Amino acid sequence: MASVSNEGQRPPGRTALAGMTVMAHDNPEGGKPGLVITELAHLGKINLRGGSDMLPVISNHTGCAKLPDNNRVVSVGDRHIVWLGPDEYLLLCAAGSETHLHSQLTLDMAGIHAAVTNVTDSLCALSLRGKAARRVLAKGCSLDLHASQFGAGDCAQTMLAHAAVTLIAHDASGFTLVCRTSFAPYVTEWLMDAALEFGASFRG
Amino acid sequence: MLLITCPYCGPRDESEFSCGGEAHIARPLAESSLTDAEFADYLFLRDNPKGLFLERWRHAAGCRRWFNMARDTVTHEIVEIYPMGSGPASKAGKAAHAASWRRDTAAEAASKPAHKSRAKKDKVS
Repeated sequence: MASVSNEGQRPPGRTALAGMTVMAHDNPEGGKPGLVITELAHLGKINLRGGSDMLPVISNHTGCAKLPDNNRVVSVGDRHIVWLGPDEYLLLCAAGSETHLHSQLTLDMAGIHAAVTNVTDSLCALSLRGKAARRVLAKGCSLDLHASQFGAGDCAQTMLAHAAVTLIAHDASGFTLVCRTSFAPYVTEWLMDAALEFGASFRG
Repeated sequence: MLLITCPYCGPRDESEFSCGGEAHIARPLAESSLTDAEFADYLFLRDNPKGLFLERWRHAAGCRRWFNMARDTVTHEIVEIYPMGSGPASKAGKAAHAASWRRDTAAEAASKPAHKSRAKKDKVS
């Protein structure tokens, strides 16, 4: 997943989960917690609306050779292009780099029927890791989350416990979850509760 | 719960979708040629058939795109899913479209840039 360092000029402000304390539930069976939640603080998020003529510009700034297919993510280094709809993508980039990237994309999209919107602070990204991640998510999500159906590089916009989320699968046990900033504390608390039986930790 | 195949995202649970009601209600272009009662057919009256129904649906929690669906209101069978702006392709869907009372309304006739409604209006004036 994208680095969470504040490499840019952006001052480290308050994040969606800044008010939440570190939480931990021991794994009843001993060993590591089944779910580890980490906020990807200030992860850069840029919403892209437009057709395939955006590809040369996006490619220039991310290095991707093609736009992702339906329900897929294209990753190049720390930049991820997430498919959201037939003409909509979410670009994830390193924290602090989104302001510059947004202005570059906006400039280069001139003349193309497209919209580039910086939604970094509108959305909150969480990293979910652990053996039980899939089982915890499956408790509140109607998607088929079996690894054979939702594997590495797959993404989906769906509902998790009534909250609208974007799920991105990285491997068998690692996900990035993107939700509205205002839903982030609720989603985190729900995940912690749902993961009680597996053990869970939230590091903020 | 229905398993609805979004044309873009694939099969998803019904809870991710919102139903937009009856499909294929065309806005009358020559609305001034209609009486209030005829315009009400377009504006207020909605079909509620027992059997195959052509509906608009939106993948609200996913790609947020609209599409049309031919669904049986008795068995919940989804006969067909087809894009906005097009008509049903299946035999049953075509039959349901043709059988709707809406096809015979003045509002629907006035929705087409046909010469009929204009000619009628000219005759009146």
